[in-house]
Amino acid sequence: MRPEDKERIQVEVVSRIVERHSQRARTAPEGYLESLVNDTLYHERLRLEKENSKLPRIKADKAFYRPFRKRLSHASGSDLQQMLEEQSRHFIEEITGHFDDQVYRVATAAIPTGLGVLTHAMSPWRLLALKDQRSSMSDHMEIQGEVDHVRALQEKGTLVVVPTHSSNLDSIVIGFVWHLMGMPPLCYGAGLNLFSNPMMSFFMHNLGAYKVDRRKGAGLYKELLKEYATCSMEMGYHNLFFPGGTRSRSGAVEPRLKKGLLGTSIGAYVGNLLAGKARPNLYVVPCTLSYKLVLEGETLIGDHLKAVGKSRYIIEDDEFSRPRKILHFMNNLISLDARIIVRFSKPLDVFGNRVDPEGHSLDPRGRRIEPQHYVMRDGVPVYDGQRDAQYTTETAAEIVRAFHRDNVLMSTHVVAHALYRLLRAANPGMDIYRLLRSGGEMPSFPMGDVHAETERVLTALKEADNPPQFGPDLRTTDTQEIVADALKHFAIYHTQPAARRRGDRVFHEDRNLLLYYGNRLRGYDLGRRMGGAR
Amino acid sequence: MNVTVIGAGSWGTTLAKVIGENGHQVLLWSRDRDQCTAINKSHRNPRYLKKVKLPATLKATHDLERACSSQLIVQVVPSHGTRRVVRRMGEHLRGDQMIVHATKGIEIETGKRMSQVIREETCVRKVGVLSGPNLAGELAQRKPAGTLVASKFKEVLEVSAAVLHSPYFRVYSGDDVIGAEVGGAFKNIIAVAAGICDGLQLGDNTKALLLTRGLREMAMLGDTMGAQVVTFGGLAGIGDLMCTCASTLSRNHQVGERLAVGQRRTQIEKEMDMVAEGIKTSRAIHAYATHKGLELPIAETVYRLLHSRLGVKRGIEELMSRPAGDEFAELHL
Repeated sequence: MRPEDKERIQVEVVSRIVERHSQRARTAPEGYLESLVNDTLYHERLRLEKENSKLPRIKADKAFYRPFRKRLSHASGSDLQQMLEEQSRHFIEEITGHFDDQVYRVATAAIPTGLGVLTHAMSPWRLLALKDQRSSMSDHMEIQGEVDHVRALQEKGTLVVVPTHSSNLDSIVIGFVWHLMGMPPLCYGAGLNLFSNPMMSFFMHNLGAYKVDRRKGAGLYKELLKEYATCSMEMGYHNLFFPGGTRSRSGAVEPRLKKGLLGTSIGAYVGNLLAGKARPNLYVVPCTLSYKLVLEGETLIGDHLKAVGKSRYIIEDDEFSRPRKILHFMNNLISLDARIIVRFSKPLDVFGNRVDPEGHSLDPRGRRIEPQHYVMRDGVPVYDGQRDAQYTTETAAEIVRAFHRDNVLMSTHVVAHALYRLLRAANPGMDIYRLLRSGGEMPSFPMGDVHAETERVLTALKEADNPPQFGPDLRTTDTQEIVADALKHFAIYHTQPAARRRGDRVFHEDRNLLLYYGNRLRGYDLGRRMGGAR
Repeated sequence: MNVTVIGAGSWGTTLAKVIGENGHQVLLWSRDRDQCTAINKSHRNPRYLKKVKLPATLKATHDLERACSSQLIVQVVPSHGTRRVVRRMGEHLRGDQMIVHATKGIEIETGKRMSQVIREETCVRKVGVLSGPNLAGELAQRKPAGTLVASKFKEVLEVSAAVLHSPYFRVYSGDDVIGAEVGGAFKNIIAVAAGICDGLQLGDNTKALLLTRGLREMAMLGDTMGAQVVTFGGLAGIGDLMCTCASTLSRNHQVGERLAVGQRRTQIEKEMDMVAEGIKTSRAIHAYATHKGLELPIAETVYRLLHSRLGVKRGIEELMSRPAGDEFAELHL
């Protein structure tokens, strides 16, 4: 973000928040502002109790909040407003702050080992071989889909890129691809934990990242984040956020999205219309990221299985926090020419309608429509939380459909799915957790069965109502080649391969990984159409 | 507020009358130019509810573009004609307009609900459904009644209530669009079965059994489609079911009575002037249930009575010989 805009956005966000709550306080029952200020104090105190109090940032936070308690006891209306403003300013300064020394120290305390490797032995440029050999990195990425359409739209309005999310590498990949496409940087809310990796924080700068601390539970903090995103969009900054909210634990393409941040795009649109902007439009660009192997696959599926629904929202001790692991992962992927595929879907307006390359919204029958009518009442644009939440739900459904349509499957996904199906079929009725743990009755399957099941899965996928895309390794008709390719990849990176060939049989070894990679095929109704497993 | 009612059948005419009597300017669209001329001249619909006087605030038009200029459009076209009309309307509509449909049926070819059809054919998002125990003839005579308008958009609920609620017509609101649509469509099938009961003079025990188990099938279907089961305990569920099954005025009921005396569907359709949604809906539900592997015994029996060679006596025997078991099995209450 341009330095002059950084100052402007801070002032704007804080003034909107203070104005909004002061207005609400006029009609709300007595004590509204007080309880708002108190709520922030409460949540921050809870958080600070759990943090390492020796860290300068934590000390500073504690010092900041200390006087509030006393001030609250005899605060007038204007005092409360002042306190709300101070809290908001405190938060926004952290959100918009660059990667600075203080944050860096917090981060290094969180991961004591391995950091030296990255900071001294290699620079991020060297790791990704970007500086002098830009082409070599781009050789390992494939950009597909509506690239020209997306490029054309940046001239017409503000873009909101919403990708699938399976790895912490996603934002690097998107940032890089976006750069290759010749697009200006994306504004991106990166979890504070991502800054724990210096390579990542390096890329965060290029992404125009702002910081999101998921440990902060105060409603005010979340509101500020949303307002920040809204303001940045209104100022014309293209935004990136992962609408799934967090990395997919199960390995499946997100079937549901978080609507909070997504909804800010409608708020920004109304803001643009009210401000009479010449280019008020925002365009939502769904995109999928597909990896043959996922860096954090083992940890993610482990977390998913630990207790479905009770999985950790923040994982700090995964593969991503181990620089050598990242290096190993990248080297292996590169050596096997396993491309990361980024596929852009057809862009949408903020209401989920398709848009043409000129930026005009289209109705479901392809007729041009004027999207501003969606937010008008009596001919004037108005904010309407209930209405916009519903629009956002519909846009989210459209994004999920796009994710499934543009999900690029690779050999590892299809073969894992086929093996998992064989496993289920060989152990009918067995509890899934037991099956994953024990492996059931059959430790291996004949190669012929694996080929046949892979063939069946591929056929069923092609016949799906909303079929996925096939990656380059699936474009062959030779199923044997597909299975061999998947097994080769399974062998190179994970602690234990998902499956391994011995003689003319395939042994399942890490069944969690089979489930994880196979889950990428969820959402195509294969269970019903093929019978059996799912 | 300017309101348009699309479809000048008995239900469309009645709703337009209610809106007009509430003091709103209402356009009643019909594709039949002569019918429009007659309505504007005599303030009566020459084809339906002929004796009912229509208010001066009601004007008929066959100009679809003009009809599509209102802020609120009440869509009352039979299910089989909805897509065709709505697609044409889509040429003229804007995103700030609202469509509330009052069509109790499901599209046969696709198994889609009417709100889905509207969504697929127009840019309009603020869609709602009106559904409840509403016999047009009774409402046209201002006999007290109530209905449900369901929409995900509060604005639709507020505007619908503002134009439709009256001293003799209570308009309740809800957000379960799927439930209201499934209730309105499915009850037509049970109404056919109720007509058979009455035609055969099977008595009140049988009818109560039919209604209650029919309600359970309605809830099962709704649950599968994503409705809230509680909706079926309301006006668009049990309310509409009781009304349609009790009233001999209902078209679906009349179809059932004719089946009971041995008539076949083709003959019944030929002899009846008006559309009985139950005939078409039973096909759509049959296709959906088969696709989803849903067991809906009463609906399936009605389907076979109407569309295959199953006889009434055999149909009842089959239903009564099914195992009974847990009353609420497989229902997520």
